[in-house]
Amino acid sequence: MEIRILLVDDEADFVETMAKRFRIRKITVAPAYSGVEALKLMDEQDFDVVILDVRMPGMDGLEVLRQIRLKRPLTEVIMLTGHASLDAGMQGMNLGAYDYVLKPADFDELLDKVRRAAERKALNVRAQAKG
Amino acid sequence: MSAPRPRASLPQSARLLFATATGARLGGERTLVLWLHFLLPPALAGLVVAATFASLPLAALLAMAALIMAACSARALIRRLSETEDARSSLNAQLIQSQKLAAIGELSAGIAHEINNPLAIIAQETEWASHLLSEAEKSNEADFAEVRDSLREIRSQVDRCKNITHKLLDFARKREPVLQDVDVARLVDDMARLVDKEASYKNVSLTRKLPEDLPTLRTDAPLLRQVVLNLMTNALQAVDRGGAITVTAEADDDSLTIHVADNGPGIAPENMDKIFNPFFTTKPPGQGTGLGLSLCHNLVSGMHGQISVASQPGQGATFTVRLPRKLGGGQA
Ligand SMILES: Nc1ncnc2c1ncn2[C@@H]1O[C@H](COP(=O)(O)OP(=O)(O)OP(=O)(O)O)[C@@H](O)[C@H]1O
Ligand SMILES: [Mg+2]
Repeated sequence: MEIRILLVDDEADFVETMAKRFRIRKITVAPAYSGVEALKLMDEQDFDVVILDVRMPGMDGLEVLRQIRLKRPLTEVIMLTGHASLDAGMQGMNLGAYDYVLKPADFDELLDKVRRAAERKALNVRAQAKG
Repeated sequence: MSAPRPRASLPQSARLLFATATGARLGGERTLVLWLHFLLPPALAGLVVAATFASLPLAALLAMAALIMAACSARALIRRLSETEDARSSLNAQLIQSQKLAAIGELSAGIAHEINNPLAIIAQETEWASHLLSEAEKSNEADFAEVRDSLREIRSQVDRCKNITHKLLDFARKREPVLQDVDVARLVDDMARLVDKEASYKNVSLTRKLPEDLPTLRTDAPLLRQVVLNLMTNALQAVDRGGAITVTAEADDDSLTIHVADNGPGIAPENMDKIFNPFFTTKPPGQGTGLGLSLCHNLVSGMHGQISVASQPGQGATFTVRLPRKLGGGQA
């Protein structure tokens, strides 16, 4: 199954390294360096999974998540956070995030979560097609 | 043909006997009608037998009458039964409706209460800010710091309202579970990691007892994460510094069970059957909306499981989520 990922983080180094590691495994990754940029990309393309940093200057991750749920309710979102704020975690999960992962995330674990999130999206797409 | 009219009422004891025998609670006249329905056809049948020996045509006539009586009484009985059935289901529908209305009433009162507090603060701060501004106009010497304070307070109260409405919207959202194979031990541990840091600030221990061979479960991963996270958050909020939380999971052939136990103050007996109600909270305003557990209840029911609580006041509380390992028909 081909998975299209959108990776959103204001730390450019992090985004680039992560994108490379996904590409080695033949998974396409589109980078975005802010919430606004991510939302613009999502207007143009359909992604399966968004990996979203919680703490970003400008529009923060939770607000971006909220907008994504409105814009593309089928796209799954994995929140990635450097600081474990329980409150933000609860908000993220309650807003419909697929998972909430602490940085630094083990890459293989993250990859596994991405695959499962993509599987869930596919299931939802199929369920919706059936009506 | 109409049913024979009753002429006399039955003795009290017979009515009682009838009521006990049939479980019916009918008034005098109807009881008699029913008695006649039951007794007349066999009585006529008896006459038929007797008449057979006397005159055959009379016997045939009586037999015909007996058959017609029996058919009529059967029809009347069926009609009566279906009437009762209809009445019962309409009563049920009414009951459900009134329960729903009561729940909506309670919910609206909760919302109104939750939103009114921040609104009152917003109103007060707005008045104070405009007072400060008019003072500044008069004296040409502005104290903008205080105005800014007011604005900040207003902003934070608006956020509080926003938080409540978001929670409500989330609460009302219908979630159809999406089933995947879920490594529950992993899932629980992942959520515990989110709680770890805040637990260590509070010097609270968060112990996991997750067997290595815990089977995977076909369930909805993000919904289960929400449930586990809510229960652990409640536990962390309940315990004092130095408290202990233990998360356990186990499975048998039928179900997989998760326990979240803490050694906090526990739940007062009079609150035990309220804690799953929306907006029930014992936390100070602004700190708890009282939606966490009712959301958990909704989510777990949606997953065809059960959530329950055991608590001895002073000795902590244990929340238990039991999820079926085999889902019955109709599941994708
Ligand atoms: N582990 C626990 N120990 C003692 N009391 C608890 C525990 N968990 C829940 N409660 C009681 O149940 C109430 C309702 O819990 P619930 O999670 O629904 O709402 P809340 O935590 O008060 O607010 P919210 O979850 O919306 O932030 C709590 O206010 C508390 O009184
Ligand atoms: Mg709670």
